[in-house]
Amino acid sequence: MLNGLVFACIVLPILAALLALIFRACAIRKALVIGTGVVLALASLALAKAGSFRLAADTMLGINVNSLVMLLDFALMAVILIIGLRLTNWIIVCLAIAQIAGTLYVEGFIGVGSGAPFLPEMGIFADNLSLVMVLVISLVGSLICIYGLGYMRVHEEHLHLEKSRQPRFFFYMLLFLGAMNGLVLSNNLLWAFFFWELTTLCSFMLIGHDGTDEARRNATRALWMNMLGGMAFVFGMMMLKKAGAELSMLTLISSGNSLYLMPIVLFCFAGFTKSAQVPFQSWLCGAMVAPTPVSALLHSSTMVKAGVFLVLRLAPGFEGTWFSVVLAIFGAFTFLVTSALAVGQSNGKKILAYSTIANLGLIIACAGINTQAAIAAAIMIIVFHAVSKALLFLCVGAIEQRIESRNIDDMRSLYQLMPRTAVITAIGIVSMMLPPFGMLLGKWMAIESALNMNFAMPIVITMLALGSALTVLFWGRWAGMLLGAANPKPVRVSDNQSFSISFVLMVLTIMAVLASLLSPLLYVALVQPATLAAADPASGYSIWGALGSFYNNTGAFAVYPLFIAIALGFAWALHAARKASKVEGTDPFLSGANARNENGEPGFIGPMREVTAPTMGNYYLSNIFGEGKLTGTANAVAITLIALMLGGVMWN
Amino acid sequence: MGLLNNLINKSRLKSPWVVHYDCGSCNGCDIEVLACLTPVYDLERFGIVNVGNPKHADVLLVTGTVNKRNKAVLKNIYDQMPEPKAVVAIGTCGMSGGMFRECYNVVGGVDKVIPVDVYVPGCPAKPEAIIDGVVKALELVKAKLEGKAPQSDAAPAEPAEGKPEEPKPEIDAA
Amino acid sequence: MELSIFTILIALVLLLLSPLAGGFITGVDRRLTAWLQSRYGPPLVQPFYDVLKLLGKAPMIVNSWQVLCAYIYLVSAVVALFIFFMQGDLLLIFFVVTVGAVAQVVGAMTVNSPFGQTGAQRELLQMLAYEPLLVMVFVGMAKAAGSFNVSDIMNVEEPLLFSLPLLFIAMVIVMLIKLRKSPFDISSSGHAHQEIVSGVHTDYSGPQLALLEIGHWLEVVLLLGITALFWTSQTTTFIGVILIIVETYFVEILIDNISARMTWKWMLRTSLCTGMVLALVNIFWLYY
Repeated sequence: MLNGLVFACIVLPILAALLALIFRACAIRKALVIGTGVVLALASLALAKAGSFRLAADTMLGINVNSLVMLLDFALMAVILIIGLRLTNWIIVCLAIAQIAGTLYVEGFIGVGSGAPFLPEMGIFADNLSLVMVLVISLVGSLICIYGLGYMRVHEEHLHLEKSRQPRFFFYMLLFLGAMNGLVLSNNLLWAFFFWELTTLCSFMLIGHDGTDEARRNATRALWMNMLGGMAFVFGMMMLKKAGAELSMLTLISSGNSLYLMPIVLFCFAGFTKSAQVPFQSWLCGAMVAPTPVSALLHSSTMVKAGVFLVLRLAPGFEGTWFSVVLAIFGAFTFLVTSALAVGQSNGKKILAYSTIANLGLIIACAGINTQAAIAAAIMIIVFHAVSKALLFLCVGAIEQRIESRNIDDMRSLYQLMPRTAVITAIGIVSMMLPPFGMLLGKWMAIESALNMNFAMPIVITMLALGSALTVLFWGRWAGMLLGAANPKPVRVSDNQSFSISFVLMVLTIMAVLASLLSPLLYVALVQPATLAAADPASGYSIWGALGSFYNNTGAFAVYPLFIAIALGFAWALHAARKASKVEGTDPFLSGANARNENGEPGFIGPMREVTAPTMGNYYLSNIFGEGKLTGTANAVAITLIALMLGGVMWN
Repeated sequence: MGLLNNLINKSRLKSPWVVHYDCGSCNGCDIEVLACLTPVYDLERFGIVNVGNPKHADVLLVTGTVNKRNKAVLKNIYDQMPEPKAVVAIGTCGMSGGMFRECYNVVGGVDKVIPVDVYVPGCPAKPEAIIDGVVKALELVKAKLEGKAPQSDAAPAEPAEGKPEEPKPEIDAA
Repeated sequence: MELSIFTILIALVLLLLSPLAGGFITGVDRRLTAWLQSRYGPPLVQPFYDVLKLLGKAPMIVNSWQVLCAYIYLVSAVVALFIFFMQGDLLLIFFVVTVGAVAQVVGAMTVNSPFGQTGAQRELLQMLAYEPLLVMVFVGMAKAAGSFNVSDIMNVEEPLLFSLPLLFIAMVIVMLIKLRKSPFDISSSGHAHQEIVSGVHTDYSGPQLALLEIGHWLEVVLLLGITALFWTSQTTTFIGVILIIVETYFVEILIDNISARMTWKWMLRTSLCTGMVLALVNIFWLYY
């Protein structure tokens, strides 16, 4: 049973991907994507229900999986090497050769002390963290792929392609889903590495999908930055091999051996590159040239989460070390800087990208704080962020196809053009920053658990507090601009979207609200056992009575009372707004010069006595928060912090 | 609800927020209006606040002659004041157009454009007279409220009865 | 956090009394301001007249989001204050207050008026200025008292003011911004200030404006309650707590009257540089 489910989660999407590449008919592709999505969703739910498990999974359909993965791994690296040669990018070529050499060493083909690596008995291992990830990947990922069906059709119409490139697109999307599930379920580090590099390749291919110069350039940058992380991963494995240690996640985190600290730090470094932490943020911003489903799937809800997943997975391995403290500061610093950078942006997708990096930084800060509560907070943030951010990306994609701009200044009064999408986007934004939604619950848990840290607490909390205020700044104005309207009456126009797009937006909105509503249950079912399993349950969080409150010795977050109070208040407000919408509206105050043009659009009596619409801009404060102003300093500080981590570990 | 309505009606008299619009006055009357806010006269004693925003205001103070250029603005400002409201025309110009009434560009007094409740004469009008005018306007509002059914929240009430003819708020091409 | 019918009842009664207290405090504020400007000033109950009058005005709105946002602002203030009276979590109170502040901004942003929008942008900058400080104040209190719960903070051994003097100054800055006092009254100008008309409040009118005003009163009560936490302890008396509230509020009014309005740059510099440094120094100090 478990074997079948794991097969369905990892191998099935990969097979479906191959089929999507072979059969070019639109109907078959549609059936494949939707079918894979449904199977994945069901399989992941079944897995989640089954709870944590371990699987040997040494043979699949009669083939030795270890040999298969090894073979595929070398094939993959060869592909990357060829890509590097074709791009004549020597960084990529060097990194690919180094990785091949390193892997050869790890596999025992070359070098001193050669011999087969010490592989774990259990290739697959899932605890609640992995299962949460599988759920996110399978549910949100499938939805995004379905959205992609409608999106890519319009996208290619815009590009006037002669030959559809959709088979290639969905090949990589589905391949990616399989690879991602494989990555989070692997216990064998060699397997994890294979899937890790596979996601890098998918990311490269999908960023460059549109084939413009900019896309190619950004894809190349993404590739070499991610390969830097892959290189660190290989280094980590080489050190383990040299020490004669088992190449297993479980051993790394459960042994507490200080010998393992350096490999762990290297794996975390790989995580930083994957999660685009400062100073690697530029690849994720560049990746925004990709079609929106890619940004939603790879660059916000799943692939970049692989990095923080790895860090979180290894968190027990560095508990109480110097590395952990610096990691918390590093994460909080990324949170602060990228939130600040997001304030200076007017490009909607870039805002989302920076905010994604910020939240990943927050998760890493939680991993650095490294208490049970903080890890729980991190997992909660992963879930809520995946849903909300996927929703926001898909909304921006839908908006962009309509207004042909991703600039938030052009989204002013979007409510009058596409009311449903505008309201859904606003809900997505609110779910990112305000209670009673889950993201905020995560932030709350993060700050409360940071309280009991050592002397680094004030620094971490200062950065978290500043960063979260900056978040409110850029989210707040965006939500307000979207909802602009000139009449009290509800706007009744169609959003003009294909069904697959509006369906997915609807489902994700419901998921965002539902996930927050179920956060206490989610906590009990998924997070608490993961973090409290081994430890004394009395010391950490508990669900406080039937009220669904998060309660610990430093505070309480009463989820359900808060939900009920705010929902009642909201219903009251909505009722009042409904009633008020019957009133004849007035114009905005424009010093008495207000007038309406022949179409009834408001404006003021401008030059030549013509009705002119007032134009307004946001405070982007580019003198303070511009990319040019902040990036250099931020990178320098971040590199210093990374050096401190490495140095601290080497010193010991 | 009777008690609440009484309270609200009482509060209306106790809290007249004013907005001041200069229709092209020579600034004589404007200075006198602003003088009312100084410590010497201290209009806030009566709860009067100069809010500078018709949407918040109850009483519109207009100084100066209405001309063809700004009558649309005057009308707009009046329209953007939620009911119940009152208008006080200040100074000779506000009352009739004053010495400019024969000018080619002049429409005349404020009451040519919007209904005026109280006229405060003077060139310029004295601060005492202006304060008196605002208080008189409130008494008129009170009389209006008592004569009519209490204000409901449903819809904006009709403007005051017995108002002069009301020109259309079209934009003049002049 | 003890939960019983009794505590809920007390909290509800306090909640019902809060608008009265808030309105009265605002009346005192206006009277004192008038006094400082050698004027006579309005009657103490003037704020109630204002709000009742506004409630009785005919609704005039540009769009219905404004109405929604005004109500949400009030609801968030009520919920935040209720959690405070239930002696709940300070961070939670902070987050709930944020809902209202964001709602106010969103409501102003939905109207295409340069005055409202400029006000909204400035309001967001104000939030940027006071939010981190407020979090630091709460974290400092929690560090000193060992918990974010108001109930625990009220039961510390000696008043927090002795261990958190610099954070108290930070709190004064927060209140100046949050209560829209000079030199920080840049986003919404009441009274005779008319730089951007009424800023974020420009296009709210009548009943909606009244709701915003009532919400503001509740926030005044909440902020003064948080100030009181600097003095509450097992040993202090009720009189002392009242005194610290009165003194703090008087300082706010005094600063309001002796300072000119400054720009947002100046505001960010004051609160984020000066305020955060004060807060950081104070919290580090707690470790020694």
